[in-house]
Amino acid sequence: MANNLYFDDIKVGDAIPTLTKGPIAKLQHVMYAGASGDFNPLHTDDDFAKAVGMKDGVIAHGMLIMGFVGQAITGWVPKKCLRKFGVRFAGMTKPGNTITISGKVIDKKQEGGENLIVCEVVAQDETGDVKVTGSFSAALPMKG
Amino acid sequence: MADSSKIGKEYAPVSWEVERGKIREMAKAIGDPNPIYQDREAAIKEGYKDIPVTPTFLTVPMMFSTSMPTVINDLKINFLMVLHGEEQYEYYQEIYPGDTITAVPKVVNIEEKTNKSGKKMDMVTIELLYKNQRGENVARARSLLVERK
Repeated sequence: MANNLYFDDIKVGDAIPTLTKGPIAKLQHVMYAGASGDFNPLHTDDDFAKAVGMKDGVIAHGMLIMGFVGQAITGWVPKKCLRKFGVRFAGMTKPGNTITISGKVIDKKQEGGENLIVCEVVAQDETGDVKVTGSFSAALPMKG
Repeated sequence: MADSSKIGKEYAPVSWEVERGKIREMAKAIGDPNPIYQDREAAIKEGYKDIPVTPTFLTVPMMFSTSMPTVINDLKINFLMVLHGEEQYEYYQEIYPGDTITAVPKVVNIEEKTNKSGKKMDMVTIELLYKNQRGENVARARSLLVERK
C-alpha cells in the first residue's frame, strides 16, 4: 500500500477513495470488543440491548466505525503522515449495515514547516444514514 | 448531572505496554488488511521502525484501564445515559511494539447544552496526553462524553 501522494498533486475538492465495509456481522462486534477492551454488553448481548431500549438488539461500537474510517484514511495517505483525526458519532450502526466511507479535501495549508492537507470524511449506511462525520489532516511531501 | 467544579481535575495515570499481537488483533477486528499493521518487514519497507499502531489504537489503554468508570463515577455522571459524542486524536510520533505509553486523564471541559428538541445535555471532555518510555509526547486523545438528562 505504498502511496506516492504529493502535496503538489492534491487539489481542494478532490475526493478521497471510498471504502465499503460490511455487511457487519455480530461476530465483528465480539472481535472488536476483545481487541478494544470495550465490553459494554450493549454491543454483544441482544437481551441486554433490548432491555435498555434497543428494539432490534445490539448496536456496533462507535469506535469500530471510527476504525473503518481510519482504515479508509491510512489506505490512502501513509499512516506516518497522519497528524490529526477526529470524528463525531452521529448515528447507531446495526448488524447487517453496510458502511461506506467517503470524503474530500477541504483545505491545503502550511503549518509548523509541514504541507498539510485537511479532509472531511463521512461514514454512511446503505440507506445514506450518516453514522460518523469527521476530519483529518496529513502532512505530505512536495515533489520538488 | 456532571459536576462542573471538577474541570481541570486529573486522575490516576493510564499506562499500557504496546504489544505486536494487540496491534494485529485491532487491525483484524476492524478488518483492515494494510500489511503495515501485520508484518514488520512490510512496515519497515514503508519507512516505519516496526509495525505502527492503528489510528484508533489509543482506545485500548483507555478501555482496558479502570480510568473511565472512575472518571464517570467521580463526575457523578449517570452511566446508563452516557453516549460517546466525539473522539479526536493528534499524532506526534509513531507508537511501536515494546513502547510503554502513559497518560494522565484530565477533565478539560464540562458544559451544558440544549439540543434541537430542547433537551438538556451535559458535555464532558476528557483529554489524555500520551508519553512514551522516553518521556516524549506521542499522541493526544480527546473524548467528548454526552450525558442525556
